[in-house]
Amino acid sequence: MKLYLTPGYQCIASWLSAKGHHAFPFQEEAWQHIVSSKSGLVNAPTGCGKTFSVFLGSVIRFINQHPTDYKSKSKNGLQLLWITPLRALAKDIGRAMEEVIEELGMSWTVGIRNGDTTQAERARQKKQLPEVLIITPESLHLFLAQKGYADAFKNLQLIAVDEWHELMGSKRGVQVELAISRIVNSHRKSMATKPPMIWGISATIGNLSDAKDVLLSAIREEGVIVKAQMKKQIVVESVLPDEIENYPWAGHLGIKLIHKVIPIIEQSKTTLIFINTRGMSERWYQELLNHAPEFAGAIALHHGSIEQELRLWVEEALHTAKLKAVVCTASLDLGVDFRPVETVIQVGSPKGVSRFLQRAGRSGHSPDAVSKIYFLPTHSLELVEAAALKNAIDEELIESKEPMLLCFDVLIQYLNTLAISDGFKPEEIFAEVKSTYCYRDLLQEEWEEVLKFLTEGGKALQQYDDYKKIEVIDGLYKITSRRIAMQHRLNIGTIVSDAMLKVRMQSGGYVGVIEEYFISRLEPGDCFTLAGRNLELLQIKDMTVLVKKSTSKKTIVPSWNGGRMSLTANLGRKLRETFNDVADAGKIMGSKNQAPELVHLSSLFQLQQQLSHIPKDNELLIEHHESKDGYHLLVYPFEGRQVHEAMSAILAYRIGKIAPLTFSIAMNDYGFELLCDQPIPVDDTNASELFTLNDLTADIQRSVNATEMARRKFRDIAVIGGLITQTAPGEQKKARHLQASASLLFNVFSEYDSKNVLLRQAYQEVFDQQMEEVRLRNAFTRIGNSTIVITVPQKFTPLCFPIIADGLNRNNLSSENIEDRIRRMQAQLMKD
Amino acid sequence: MQQPTYFQHFNQTLWLSPERCIFWEEERWLIVSDIHFGKSGHFRKAGIGIPQTVFKEDLHRLVTQIQFFKPAQLIVVGDFFHSHINNEIKLFEKWRNDLASLPIHLVKGNHDILEPNWYDANTIVVHETQLVNGPFAFMHELPEEATTTGQYIFTGHIHPGIHIAGLGKQSLRFPCFYFGEQHAVLPAFGRFTGLHAVRPKKKDKIFAIAEQRLVELQ
Repeated sequence: MKLYLTPGYQCIASWLSAKGHHAFPFQEEAWQHIVSSKSGLVNAPTGCGKTFSVFLGSVIRFINQHPTDYKSKSKNGLQLLWITPLRALAKDIGRAMEEVIEELGMSWTVGIRNGDTTQAERARQKKQLPEVLIITPESLHLFLAQKGYADAFKNLQLIAVDEWHELMGSKRGVQVELAISRIVNSHRKSMATKPPMIWGISATIGNLSDAKDVLLSAIREEGVIVKAQMKKQIVVESVLPDEIENYPWAGHLGIKLIHKVIPIIEQSKTTLIFINTRGMSERWYQELLNHAPEFAGAIALHHGSIEQELRLWVEEALHTAKLKAVVCTASLDLGVDFRPVETVIQVGSPKGVSRFLQRAGRSGHSPDAVSKIYFLPTHSLELVEAAALKNAIDEELIESKEPMLLCFDVLIQYLNTLAISDGFKPEEIFAEVKSTYCYRDLLQEEWEEVLKFLTEGGKALQQYDDYKKIEVIDGLYKITSRRIAMQHRLNIGTIVSDAMLKVRMQSGGYVGVIEEYFISRLEPGDCFTLAGRNLELLQIKDMTVLVKKSTSKKTIVPSWNGGRMSLTANLGRKLRETFNDVADAGKIMGSKNQAPELVHLSSLFQLQQQLSHIPKDNELLIEHHESKDGYHLLVYPFEGRQVHEAMSAILAYRIGKIAPLTFSIAMNDYGFELLCDQPIPVDDTNASELFTLNDLTADIQRSVNATEMARRKFRDIAVIGGLITQTAPGEQKKARHLQASASLLFNVFSEYDSKNVLLRQAYQEVFDQQMEEVRLRNAFTRIGNSTIVITVPQKFTPLCFPIIADGLNRNNLSSENIEDRIRRMQAQLMKD
Repeated sequence: MQQPTYFQHFNQTLWLSPERCIFWEEERWLIVSDIHFGKSGHFRKAGIGIPQTVFKEDLHRLVTQIQFFKPAQLIVVGDFFHSHINNEIKLFEKWRNDLASLPIHLVKGNHDILEPNWYDANTIVVHETQLVNGPFAFMHELPEEATTTGQYIFTGHIHPGIHIAGLGKQSLRFPCFYFGEQHAVLPAFGRFTGLHAVRPKKKDKIFAIAEQRLVELQ
């Protein structure tokens, strides 16, 4: 069918031209495919009409099917299922869709389904589903947990997945894959009509074609990629410290440059200030108010632990240009268009090219506007990253997103979900699950293990067992216990947060949530900061923290235990290349082509050169230092924190074979430190041996750190897989005999059921993600081809400083016998 | 099994076992705490598949300790059972029957919520708050106000663990026996239990349980 000849297209085209608009070529291309019942992926930056490329396609199709009565036809059942990763996006998109529907005079309704949807609204939707339902992956799974869910999809024409590039690399993406497999197949089984089309919407990533294949795997279609050929113009400017000598060599905050931020805010309509963590965003907000009290009321704070209502208010105020600036975290990373935003400031390393581009794209939202982003370094060396980012943007070095594979925790959760709605038949669901990209390599015996775990609960003592979860009734796998079903509903989702407590004012009023880990270290009377307010802790009662307003000047800013992001491979490579430009420190001063950031840092580079060496991209620098803490070995591969974590463990293990030593390990994105109480035997004669590819796999397995890394991974897996029940704040009391920490469960499984699928998954995730085995191997190969430069600086160097100062998150690796180790540590303590 | 460690305290001979219990030689008492029998079963009942092996082995370890020390009495300093009755506790009943001649005393812990007549039926003598014998008193938790009886108190409840830090910012954590000036804390006997770090004072004695061996730290 030719798009241009269809009544639906003509209807839309005339509506657009009446408004003085016209469709972009990529939108028409997408509409043509949708009219022809094809599936695919739209690749377009935000703010370029990507939503309409799919939504209007769906409208055109409907008009084509009902050319005479499309306006009056109502109660058509669900036509378009719109999956979006963010609740905040739903409202915005829904509003835009409703506007179109109204102007076209159609009778469609748009519904939103997510954690904020009220019971009444849910009930209304149950009676009569809207034509368009905007839903999060979690709510979609909750939908599948309702009896008779398949009926809802019988008229469904199209499933759209917005921001697919965000979802794909996460377990939420796996949830989407599973839900699609179920909807498509329930459709196939019961209906004569063709199953719904699948359309993904994605920003540019390194592996778009993979993104399409992952999404369409369950419908077994090749699909098409529609690209919006629009290039956004981006201007990057660094905020340079006046005296680089006085700017700190290590740090995370960057507050020292706040006086340079204030004029930037003043000069633009609205500014978004992206901070990497919630704790630091609280600090920034406070400091901005301290330095520029006139901003009071005109700036706001937005992060994931702030009370929902307040966040919505901030978003609304952003739309209506009521705010001069918002200090935010990744919570404002995704798609909502805030038109008044003219400027973006990134504080600290964005860790990756695509994240930086995405944040830049938050400003200058109309398709032809320029996006302006300032980079504010939190320590001197981060300025090198700014130079590297600029190069990477010029070369369009966008990262790939690797899809998750064989997530047993998500599978277990999903099967429980199906078991509480209509129950499932293993043969049918196994084939379906295997049709997804995530589980295409799932083995029959693994599947059976999962079923066994769900029905029998692993190792049991036959007649002395009480295990009850999924029961098999006439071949149908079902959960009959209402209590277990209810518990499971509360547990659906793959975003795992730390145990959170509600924070409430004594005088009434809800402030937000806070990590139990943080608050448990405070005493009543202590003051802390949350949601930009200074609060005094009164008491903790029934999982609620009661507080009152504090006038104290000294407050503690909570640390949120969120995972720290790691530098991506692309940015790491660019960073190493950038050092080439300064490796000969004398060259910097004269050169005109030099990036301003690098020129600014020249005194620092000279010091580095003078004390040690500046590594080129074909070199690996190793420094020996000695301090009162012990002997430090610093290695600078510039591969990102995650790769360094594994690499340092392997290196520690290999050095440990030379002499029995115990190391404490610290790392950042540039390099890592092995700290030891005895001299570390690494020199020119053995350095290259330490980075050999021989026995690499075996050495990875042997470096005991895998256990500790797996232990950390296990928390999320245990929650998603239903081993840890997440209770709403305030409900812990009822389940008090069911509390066990992830670490304890990890110990118990390791010792008593080491083959458990969830435990195995924890180790697999460590190898795939934490160690990034492929990337690790590449790094070892690269280093193998590099020259190793070993220096013994007399003082700490600019490169080593941030690593040593940032000695949090230490990892230990020992080749000594445990008793010797304790005795020796003991002896040392005595000496003090 | 690893050999127990000899420890003289208040002129009494205590044998500290790396299996997390104490044998008081003069009285021939085997003293344990925080076994939490039935915990894995309690989780399994709620659909959480904890391997039941952990319960089975806890039971076996207790039997082994009883066979080794041949105590006159078994003293449980609270949290003998984790929660309500379940099938694991039925297995315990069977075991209790086989060892009917061994007197068992339980000083009640916060987890011991079974019906009073259940303890009677299984010939477990229940002490509501404490059990006193010679220089020692046994209670699950330390009372908020110091007792005036003057005995040295043995408690459980907190599942003590010791955190050891060394040069090079190293750190390790082990379950431990804690002997303070006024009271001692027993390690949790059950293996499905967590650790709570204790901060010993200078004169306190700590025996860490590291890989089935006892290491005296101070």
